[in-house]
Amino acid sequence: MAVGDPERTAILDIDRLQVSLFTRRGVLPAVDGLSLTVAARETVAIVGESGCGKSLTALAVMRLLPEPPAKIVSGAVRFMGRDLASLSDRAMRRVRGKDISMIFQDPMTSLNPVTTVGDQLIEAIQWHNDVSRREAHARAVELLRQVRIPDAERRLDDYPHQMSGGMSQRVMIAMAIACGPKLLIADEPTTALDVTIQAQILELIKELQASSGMGLIIITHDLGVVAETADRVVVMYAGRKVEEAPVEALFERPLHRYTSGLLGATPSAKRRRGSRLAEIGGSVPALSELPAGCAFQNRCADAFDRCRTERPKLMPLMPGRTAACFAAEEELSRHVAAIGT
Amino acid sequence: MPSLATDFVRRFARNRAALVGLVLVIALIGVALAAPWMFPKNPLRIVGRPEIWPFVNARFPLGTDSLGRDIAAMIAHGARTTLLIGLCASLTATLIGITVGASAAFFGGWVDEMLMRFTELFQTIPNLIFVLTIVSILGQKIEYVTIAVGIVTWTPIARLTRAEFMSLRDREFVQACRAMGMGNMRIMLGEILPNALPPVIVLSSLVIAGAVLFESAVSFLGLGDPNISSWGRLIGDGRTLIRTSWYICAVPGLAIMLTVLALNLIGDGLNDALNPKLRDR
Amino acid sequence: MSLLSVLSLCVQYQTAQGTVRAVDDVSFELEPGETLGLVGESGCGKSTLGKAIMRLVPSSDGVVVLDGQDITRMPNAGLKSVRKNMQMIFQDPYGSLNPRHDVGTIVGQPLSVAGWSRKDIRDRVADLLRQVGLSADAARRYPHEFSGGQRQRVGIARALALRPKVIICDEPVSALDVSVRAQVINLLQDLQQQTGVSYLFISHDLSVVEHVSDRLIVMYLGRIVESGRGAEVWEQPAHPYTLALLTAAPVADPKLARSRTKNLLQGELPSPLNPPPGCSFHVRCPMARERCRQERPVLRNVSGDRMVACHYDLLEQSAELPRAVGAAN
Repeated sequence: MAVGDPERTAILDIDRLQVSLFTRRGVLPAVDGLSLTVAARETVAIVGESGCGKSLTALAVMRLLPEPPAKIVSGAVRFMGRDLASLSDRAMRRVRGKDISMIFQDPMTSLNPVTTVGDQLIEAIQWHNDVSRREAHARAVELLRQVRIPDAERRLDDYPHQMSGGMSQRVMIAMAIACGPKLLIADEPTTALDVTIQAQILELIKELQASSGMGLIIITHDLGVVAETADRVVVMYAGRKVEEAPVEALFERPLHRYTSGLLGATPSAKRRRGSRLAEIGGSVPALSELPAGCAFQNRCADAFDRCRTERPKLMPLMPGRTAACFAAEEELSRHVAAIGT
Repeated sequence: MPSLATDFVRRFARNRAALVGLVLVIALIGVALAAPWMFPKNPLRIVGRPEIWPFVNARFPLGTDSLGRDIAAMIAHGARTTLLIGLCASLTATLIGITVGASAAFFGGWVDEMLMRFTELFQTIPNLIFVLTIVSILGQKIEYVTIAVGIVTWTPIARLTRAEFMSLRDREFVQACRAMGMGNMRIMLGEILPNALPPVIVLSSLVIAGAVLFESAVSFLGLGDPNISSWGRLIGDGRTLIRTSWYICAVPGLAIMLTVLALNLIGDGLNDALNPKLRDR
Repeated sequence: MSLLSVLSLCVQYQTAQGTVRAVDDVSFELEPGETLGLVGESGCGKSTLGKAIMRLVPSSDGVVVLDGQDITRMPNAGLKSVRKNMQMIFQDPYGSLNPRHDVGTIVGQPLSVAGWSRKDIRDRVADLLRQVGLSADAARRYPHEFSGGQRQRVGIARALALRPKVIICDEPVSALDVSVRAQVINLLQDLQQQTGVSYLFISHDLSVVEHVSDRLIVMYLGRIVESGRGAEVWEQPAHPYTLALLTAAPVADPKLARSRTKNLLQGELPSPLNPPPGCSFHVRCPMARERCRQERPVLRNVSGDRMVACHYDLLEQSAELPRAVGAAN
């Protein structure tokens, strides 16, 4: 269900995406019916813990899923009107890196260690644009300056291992924006970096977004990063989208019990020091052992009968936001009843 | 360790090719064990007309060689030779290799330097020539051939063991053991070695194949034990008749090929079964 | 007398490119029952410091005194009895447990090394597993059968086995999922309440360190730049680097995140092979002046138990703070 300003045209429209993993233990629903839109200039954060399917979603959009074992089983990924899931490999290669780009978590392993940074950038530029090597070289220098790498001209001859984590990540960003993409997907872009460098990179990404007007999807497990960068937030759990809301509303009043659990488990200035953090007992169920009904039931303090038998659907429980949680539904309807509407 | 063992068996069994290899090796062992019953007399005796083709005479199912010896008997007894050398030589090689590699890695410093130079020395000597030299010095008996092959094949095991030990030495669980005051010997043998063994085991299975080939080469050249029947020797003896009675070379050649193939397939299977990267979380 | 005293500890090692001073003249004290947080980014030496105190890496200078005994140069034989007073919890739940041993063996190893009988070990292991919230039958299972959070609990149980007085926690929750972190943090705090153990809690995650620590030490390039009571350092940092860390750390509050002024530190972390002269932070410091380039600041007491290594610390300057350095709130 798409949520957001209807006036803004969506550049990306993921419609009930289903990605399954075909393993020896059976077919696992790694991404189960996810719908999501991103508009130009908008930042959507997908937040969740390991195994929730957020990275696979990004890979599915980019058609970079490891096949086998993963496969897009059903659903559409519409980018500017075209369904990416049905494009041929060749056609998809023209989209990747040009219209949609992705940056990954660990810059040290995402760059080719045996070619220089300059060669990698030039390769990316020339692949999508019919320009001479000299022009590509000039553009590469300009890109490095745009991502604030000092001494850009000389840096082109460096190899990735000669650069620090922060610099390598900037190079990756430069490669990603080289052809002016309309959508940038950042998968845990700062997780492997130090705090002060992390802040620089996030600020850089936001600035680039503001100047180019591209849409941005940030995938992260860090709620702090979400609060700093997102306009809208999608929370995923065990392959399913469980909540979506504008960022301030989500933090102020989380609806799904998993979201409130995550917020409670995050130490922050608001919480009294030394007090116990709110724990979420147990751990994420394996995809092969998902219970019937709500995937979160075994860890939820508010779970009741309906949660165990029926799988909650995403409902617009409050204006501009959805959540798939019966407990939240009940609570809100009691609230409404109490007001006497 | 019940859980780890059943895991291992299950994973190994998934690899069909490895199972085929296992069957072949079991067949080889069966033939080797049964040889004294199937062919009780000395296989090197002359028992019939020379150069009878296989499947022609029921008494000699695989034919006879240039002197009139029963090829089937020689193949069966040759299987014992192959097995013996394969196992003993690789066992020797593995023991030497693990000791050298583990010591080099654990003690480091000049011990490491010295042991690695020692290893390199053995690696640079051309293997076959070294084996032949040892055999010609010590004499043409099967024990010496075994020793010679063992001496020549330990170096890759040493290198691998050293690499594994070095990477394991810095792992957190080893640091935890040092932090609790565990002694060096106990760490080496109880903590590091069990984790270093799997890739070494895989390599050992390939070393067995190598040993088989070495022995065949030595016997082919006529430098093996003259009182023992061996596949390599059969091929060597049949060299001159290769244009007419080529089966004398082909039959033992096929036996060697199948054995080495089987060992390689098992090696692959062991790799899959023991490789921790493939362990699904 | 403090439980653990570290005085002018230095750890340096040689690389192909020169000498690296991973830990440079670090001193601090740890009292019984308290949690001392140690925070900093890569290359600050916090992990190396923890390992040097544990005698897992050799120190080149300085003294470590545990429970009245100088353990800095103690030979291995004598160390054995000391080891039971100080243990360590590691970062990687997947690498800190030997995959070939079952959990019971792993948790019982410190006891086995100390010479306990099999029966005693078994009983104590059962107690320990219960104490960390795992079932007794976990003893027969192997690490790969457990989740990251559970493995970390096993590591904690192992560290508790000999009833140490000090536990050095080296990034104990960094590799865990958010929802599991809270479980482990709560467990560590509960155990401290029950047993009175002291923690040296090393982490790069400011919010976690601040949550658990009574006192806090901030390190940069091998040196301590600030130390003091956790809440005070948090609310009013004295060193510009501490301030930079606070402003850079993402805060889980969108309104606050967008309204606060952030002046982010520019530039990269310098290589420990070539620390800048004078104050090692001056290259990135928005308030650096001539004296900072030439003279290395000494760690000095500014108020109460607050110590800072800065010529122009923020507490003094608060009145005349240049607009360039924003406030944390």
